[in-house]
Amino acid sequence: MREKILIVDDIELNREILAVALGDEYPVMEAGDGEQAIRILKEHFHEVAAVLLDLIMPKADGYEVLKYMHEAGLMAHIPVLVISAASRTDDERICLEMGVSDFIHKPFDSMTVRSRVKNIVELFMYKNRLEDRVRIQTENLKRQNELLIQQAEKIKASNEKIIDVLGTVVEYRNLESGEHIKRVKGFTGILANKAAQKYPEYNLTPERINIIVAASALHDVGKISIKDSILLKPGRLSADEFEYMKSHTVRGCDILDQIDGAWDGEYARVSYVICRHHHERYDGKGYPDGLSGEDIPIEAQLVSIADVYDALVSDRVYKEAIDKNKAYHMILMGECGVFSPKLMECFRETKEEFENLAVKFEAAQKE
Amino acid sequence: MTVRECYGQMGADYENVLGRLGSEQIVQHFLLKFLNDTSFRDLEEKLKTKDVEQAFRAAHSLKGVCLNLGFDNLFAVSSELTEKLRAGELDGTEALFEKVKEQYDITVSAIRQLEAS
Repeated sequence: MREKILIVDDIELNREILAVALGDEYPVMEAGDGEQAIRILKEHFHEVAAVLLDLIMPKADGYEVLKYMHEAGLMAHIPVLVISAASRTDDERICLEMGVSDFIHKPFDSMTVRSRVKNIVELFMYKNRLEDRVRIQTENLKRQNELLIQQAEKIKASNEKIIDVLGTVVEYRNLESGEHIKRVKGFTGILANKAAQKYPEYNLTPERINIIVAASALHDVGKISIKDSILLKPGRLSADEFEYMKSHTVRGCDILDQIDGAWDGEYARVSYVICRHHHERYDGKGYPDGLSGEDIPIEAQLVSIADVYDALVSDRVYKEAIDKNKAYHMILMGECGVFSPKLMECFRETKEEFENLAVKFEAAQKE
Repeated sequence: MTVRECYGQMGADYENVLGRLGSEQIVQHFLLKFLNDTSFRDLEEKLKTKDVEQAFRAAHSLKGVCLNLGFDNLFAVSSELTEKLRAGELDGTEALFEKVKEQYDITVSAIRQLEAS
């Protein structure tokens, strides 16, 4: 407990006048020179609430005491009040520069000294307490943060597991597109990274891209609840059948709503918007909500281009694969939907990456 | 003799000291303590041995005590001597010390009278 006042003065009479001035408020320790003061500070620094310091003393003087306190890191915790006749005017300036809290001139008024000591001791007590508390809380926060990071890793793993399981269900159900999901993830990643690099306004951080790519696996999860007769129908769908097929977007959302709460909010949100909006069109003529322009979440915009591209370059029950170069031009010419001009620019610049990835999947499938 | 009369005999401002230190008893207590303070004797001795640094320190101490106790006249002369010694000069300190001694004797004599009464 810091509660004692260390009075440092070579004249006993002066020490006693100060002790009397302080009244009964504080226990007092006395040092008759700087060396003695430093010795007391070394042994009892944690008991000292303030130092009243004379400057001119035999052996070590007041400046040497200040120097020691600096080196020992005590100036930040123990206030020093210099009591001096201060016949030299620069003493006060030097002392204040050395971190002394107050400079009291002789002859001093007893009550003023008492009040100044009281004020400064209270201020430092408050400051020391705050610093202690901040230190303890910082340590606690650091520990908690480490725990949180571990938990976040676990949650991330479990989120990705949920997505993988759901995605696999779609694959089994929707026989023709076993590899479709993996390719869409790949194309979404290529496009998202380009968009992140070209258009910082999308704020696509590596973490967000990670989630978007993972969640893109669920864009067609609603197809689980589409009847086989429609889902697996070879050839073109009738207008009614097509309307029914379109409901896979909202059906997917219904499925995701049921697992909401069981997984991380951002994964849930991104999966939801991708599922719902990956068939919207930039001109507002898409479905289910007819969103237009940047009202369509960027996550869904990215996935819809990846989805359309993959549909074009892959074999489907109702059609054969289209040449990659032709598919590229069809998309850019707006023959397969209307997309954001910015994302079209990204698509233009990543033509080769798209094609390389498509080729890689084809090769893997042949093996 | 009262403390006020004692200060009157020294030609010093009692009201000021009383205001700063708080009560007559406290002032009297420290006045009597001053008789045991060795600053003056140290000063005399160090001047004799021509030890400027130690003499300066003793003069400075005496000056400081005088400030605290409000010995205006003794403060004035000891302060003058302190500055001379701070500059490291011994020349002319003899005359200044005589003045200090004169005021010191007046001060001590007044306190002794207070002590006796």
